[in-house]
Amino acid sequence: MTVVPAQQSGGGGGSSGLYDVLELVLDRGLVIDAFVRVSLVGIEILKIDVRVVVASVDTYLRFAEACNRLDLEAGPRKSPGLPDMVGEITESGARGKSKGALSGAAQTISDAFKQAREEGGEAEERPRPRKTTAARRKREEEE
Amino acid sequence: MSTYVYGITAGSDLALPDGLTGVGEPPLPVRVVRAGELAAIVSDAPEGLRPKRRDLLAHQTVLGEAGAAGCVLPMRFGSIAPDDETVADVLAERADHYRERLQALDGRVEYNVKASHVEEAVLHRVMAENSEVRAVAEANRKAGGGSYEDKLRLGEMVAAAVKAKEAEDGSVLQQLLEPAAEAVNAGPESTGWLANVSFLVERDAAARFLEAVDRAREELPQLEIRVNGPLPPYSFVDPGPAEHAATAAGDADTEAG
Repeated sequence: MTVVPAQQSGGGGGSSGLYDVLELVLDRGLVIDAFVRVSLVGIEILKIDVRVVVASVDTYLRFAEACNRLDLEAGPRKSPGLPDMVGEITESGARGKSKGALSGAAQTISDAFKQAREEGGEAEERPRPRKTTAARRKREEEE
Repeated sequence: MSTYVYGITAGSDLALPDGLTGVGEPPLPVRVVRAGELAAIVSDAPEGLRPKRRDLLAHQTVLGEAGAAGCVLPMRFGSIAPDDETVADVLAERADHYRERLQALDGRVEYNVKASHVEEAVLHRVMAENSEVRAVAEANRKAGGGSYEDKLRLGEMVAAAVKAKEAEDGSVLQQLLEPAAEAVNAGPESTGWLANVSFLVERDAAARFLEAVDRAREELPQLEIRVNGPLPPYSFVDPGPAEHAATAAGDADTEAG
């Protein structure tokens, strides 16, 4: 006899679990033609907070920057003569430079989330920020 | 007063907790409309019902409570009948169909799995696997980031590679989980997860399914995988027979579902 696990939610809390299944509640389930359904105008809430590769100039530039940063990270000490990359460098010295670049990355990411939030418009409640963002922040702090 | 319908169940399975409330502000009491062996879980329909978070959660909660005792066919959110009598008529009219569905889904729950790429991890992977992308990235970096056109070219290559990776990882994920499920159904396409798939899982085999998810997490570390369940089998209730008739799809789909 297997023990039935409690409700699993990748998002952690109950409300973000609900957020993840909203589309099922709204878009799946039994429909009976003798009943009417409430209007679903204004639930673009479903389309936010989603990572898709959109073919756009913005996406291309973002990826290009991200790849530059990736190489920086892969070999942070390998090229002392490296030209300045992205973001404002607020500290002096080689270590400061790499930190500045990483802060720039974090800023870009948080901007992206902000944008997603704004695009979300009427969303009544935000899901918990993605783990990946927290992970980046953590790494940033550790640098 | 019109009637809000949450789901349909076998009357014998029905054991709702006392004082259960549903949609509306203040939340309206949940009650049962019976017809023969079947029962509909309903409440009064509030005026001006909208898909608000509180009401969606109420819909979900009522189905969760009702589903604890036995199989429930979940209604899509926001289904409203003119009155209780109409609900009872529908149950009686399509009793065979609903009984068949309740039997087919008995002891089964839905798990919804969504996955997206951890951007940094997938970019690492793309760079590691694609020497052309690496070469262009290197050239750009040597040129101090490269011109606007250089950046666009690199970004476009990376975007294409990431997109290909999305498709690849999505199908690998599904392949890893399918053996632990009885049925699979793609989630609504309006969202842009690289995978959004619902799995029908026997309640008693849920642990096995979740183990498969854990293994997938290990095999695909570039993915953030979210699992939600056990849920009422939203994605596995067939459209009603009337809808089939309307689309002239016949019985084939009903049988296949």
